[in-house]
Amino acid sequence: MLDANMPTDQVCLGRKRPVPSCPNPLFLQWLTELRDSAKEKGLKTQYVYQKAINSLKKYPLPLKNGKEAKILQNFGDGICKILDERLEKHYRENGQGPQFSADGSDAPIHLAPSFQRSNMASSKQMEAPTNEPSGNLSEHMKRTQREVRKEKGTKKKREYVPQKRSGGYAVLLTLYRHAQTPGSKGFMFRNELQTEAQPLCEKSFTVPDLGSKYTAWSSVSTLIQKDLLVKTHNPARYSLTDQGLALAEKLDSEETGMAKEHVEQMSEEEDARDGPDVVDLTLEEEEQEEKERCRSSKSLERPATALNVNQARGQISESDAAGKSQTPETGRTAMGWHLPPGSYDIVLCVDVIETTGGSSGRKQELVKELQRNCVTFDIRKLNVGDFLWVAREKVTPVPGQLRPPVGKELVLDYIIERKRMDDLCGSIIDGRFREQKFRLKRCGLRKPIYLVEECGSAAAHLSIPESTLQQAIVNTQVVDGFFVKRVQDVKESAAYLTIMTRYLQKLYHNCTLFCRSRELEGDGGDESEQTANLSCSLMAFTEFNYGAIKNKCQTVREVFARQLMQISGVSGDKAAAVLEHYSTVSSLLQAYDQCSSESEKEKLLSSIKYGKLKRNLGPALSRTIYQLYCTRGPLS
Amino acid sequence: MPAVQRANTWEISDSEEESDLNKPSSSSSGEKKRRRRTQEEVQEEQETRRAAREKQRQEKNKLKEEKLEEQQRRREAAVRVSLFKPENFIKSLTLQIHAALLRDAGCDVLLGTLDGLQWKNCIENQGLPNSIIWTRPALQTEDEAKNGVIEEDQVLMVISHNEFEDMVMSHKTETNQSVPIGVVYEEAESLLQHLYKYLTEASRKFVTVLVISHQQRSGSGDEDHFDFHLSQHHLDTEALYWNVSVNFLFGWQEVTDHVVAVTKAVSKRPYKVLCGEPDLGFCMDGSWSAGVRVDRDGRGLAQVWTRQIQQLNRVSPALAKAVTSVYPSPSLLLQAYEQQPSEEERRRLLADLAVVGGAKERRVGPELAGRIHRLLTSQNPHLLLD
Repeated sequence: MLDANMPTDQVCLGRKRPVPSCPNPLFLQWLTELRDSAKEKGLKTQYVYQKAINSLKKYPLPLKNGKEAKILQNFGDGICKILDERLEKHYRENGQGPQFSADGSDAPIHLAPSFQRSNMASSKQMEAPTNEPSGNLSEHMKRTQREVRKEKGTKKKREYVPQKRSGGYAVLLTLYRHAQTPGSKGFMFRNELQTEAQPLCEKSFTVPDLGSKYTAWSSVSTLIQKDLLVKTHNPARYSLTDQGLALAEKLDSEETGMAKEHVEQMSEEEDARDGPDVVDLTLEEEEQEEKERCRSSKSLERPATALNVNQARGQISESDAAGKSQTPETGRTAMGWHLPPGSYDIVLCVDVIETTGGSSGRKQELVKELQRNCVTFDIRKLNVGDFLWVAREKVTPVPGQLRPPVGKELVLDYIIERKRMDDLCGSIIDGRFREQKFRLKRCGLRKPIYLVEECGSAAAHLSIPESTLQQAIVNTQVVDGFFVKRVQDVKESAAYLTIMTRYLQKLYHNCTLFCRSRELEGDGGDESEQTANLSCSLMAFTEFNYGAIKNKCQTVREVFARQLMQISGVSGDKAAAVLEHYSTVSSLLQAYDQCSSESEKEKLLSSIKYGKLKRNLGPALSRTIYQLYCTRGPLS
Repeated sequence: MPAVQRANTWEISDSEEESDLNKPSSSSSGEKKRRRRTQEEVQEEQETRRAAREKQRQEKNKLKEEKLEEQQRRREAAVRVSLFKPENFIKSLTLQIHAALLRDAGCDVLLGTLDGLQWKNCIENQGLPNSIIWTRPALQTEDEAKNGVIEEDQVLMVISHNEFEDMVMSHKTETNQSVPIGVVYEEAESLLQHLYKYLTEASRKFVTVLVISHQQRSGSGDEDHFDFHLSQHHLDTEALYWNVSVNFLFGWQEVTDHVVAVTKAVSKRPYKVLCGEPDLGFCMDGSWSAGVRVDRDGRGLAQVWTRQIQQLNRVSPALAKAVTSVYPSPSLLLQAYEQQPSEEERRRLLADLAVVGGAKERRVGPELAGRIHRLLTSQNPHLLLD
């Protein structure tokens, strides 16, 4: 039944006006291709392209070029450059001229997709490899890179090559060279690697550029993802994989083969994963070039890094080994530096948490008291402990810069954990107490102090009996070896901190302090050094604070142990015993696979010896673990 | 050995045909010869069999003995270790109380308590005045010194409030004479001097000075109290230098409680040192370490599995549940991994699982999915997951 009002030829539902075709079909098509390619690879940039597509679809007017497209939402410099480049290429293939403009009025630009595609295909053929040897690099390095990649052959597997003097480049090269030195341990620690790689990298590994929180170091995670680098152990060790070794070898031969040039560095970080200087494999080669060109036009030449790296690498390695600096007064070499007397201040560091929060505002009182006592202190985030002291290099502000340069800091051996009685109760109940002490013991500072507050006040309203609390405090002193200072209230805590600060200032008055690297030298020190009150070989504050992070990176082994302990009856030493035989989940599973019967699997772990007395783990636990890992169906 | 090649008993018989089969190429040997040989052989065989049996028996006995020895060794080791256990170790301690403390009648409280606990104690005239120390016989592992008697490193010094004020005063005058920290005077007259002397002569002692007062403890508003505590701070730096701790207590009961607490703490140490805690890189204690009870049939393992996922950093219970509700056993998850065509897809298998009830997460996410995959498949125990 047709309604009399409706046109007789058809029934239209929905939209009454025909949808106009997109006035920029080429751009639309290219963006769609880019999006699909990114989607295939599971990359986040697919969403970026999608947003651009959505905006483009809504725009009713033809665009002449990528630059014009910038006015649209979600069209940033990157995409516009890409489109312009594509357009350029398109002109090259199809000739230029009014009939080939980007807008919809002239046909050839907006030819049917099939035509476009065949053009693109031919364009690829046009850029056949010129067989330039990869060593012959000049300012055409980027193109050579592309050609190198082409030489490698397949269009599918593109080889990743980091930009020269980028973070990834410097890291790979440094690890490679380090591994070549005789007696090398085969891996490098974080600080060590950063320090030695810094001279090879344009951007700082430690100080982020203005307006960004990323440093050149962020490319390391990309290297790991690409399976060129592997990060193991706690504290972290970095080493090359076989692929990484091969690539680094190549980079090394290129570097030594060619004259060193200053290549302008890109410093945009679009995707944290990718890192700023990484070749972006999501883009096709031409697009990658475009992106790089786009970056280069954006970036400024960054000034040299914060660390003054005038020293040749060789010298740095030497001073590493010695641990002490062999350079003159400023002592600003990358590692193994020192602070001569008078060049530093002893400053009390107060953890941020100690100054904020708390309903009664008691925490602010601490700060006020310190101020009243005219103590030099600095509030900062400490990853362990509540108070400590640093020897901070005196720095003079540089004219023209608002913020004075960051002075180097060494952390003194004393670290204070402040505990009010109610805090102590709470932390005993929820298990934090032991864990905090554990972390304090491992932080590298040799003189932990437990500052217990409100000792005198009535313990009536505490959730744990007084005797238990007192036992806990005594245990901390006797068993854990901490120095215990008891005070009545916040004011006394502040007084104690004041006295301590003045004492340390006096103590270190005429001392030269040396930077000790914990990762390289370990906690070391013989007995005498450990008990000595005046230690002049100290850790850098940055290394200390970084090493004390709470939720550190976990190793496979560590997590496996914790997982085993989720079974009641599996204690730490039992888990450790199992780990002696099967240090990873997969090795345990493999062992189960190699058993010839279920019964054998069940008994696999029962005779593992654990503990001081070398007792058997027993058939019951062995069976439980077997059930956990070998039950084919769901668990109950 | 001649009988090595011998056949089984029943294969050898006197009958000619059978023996023909077993003997090496028989030449024209007469019946008699064969029989004799057989008889000799039989005798030989019997002897060797006897010898073998004897050997077997000996070996069996040996094994039995070894097992018994092993058990004996284990028992002894267990006994040795149990000596270290706090409840046993504490019995080997003797509290030495300096005679000066007896001057105060309140000391009876301490002595009475110690006797009640049946802890060994004695009165000593020598040593640091007003001190309480712990001695015990040296363990096998320790170097024997002074007739095999070891003094523990913890030392208590019980002094009155007045005595403490004197200490502070004399310390003040000393510091005013700008003597560098740590220098000790020759004559040891005051308690402070005694303490200094003791600290310089004895190695690595941890002294806690218990200042006993018999007055009511007043709040910090009290003037005297306030000034006093401030002046006490002059001692702080010395105290830190010498590892001396100060504790203000009210009455001999509190002193006794403290002595008891230190004794218990001291008794805990040797066992801890002996057995030690395995250093797996994390603290063994904590709310995470309480295990789930699993019965013989494996009931409870589902919860274990979920808790296992939570052991990774930054995994909430909701997040863990998201994984284990779809893959209710490690095996099922691993089977699912195997079915994936590529490594990449294995890594991302869990990424899109929806999280119910999570605080901020809506899905598991590729990062955690990757970590779980690495955890279950990596062969490198030291590989970092984060």
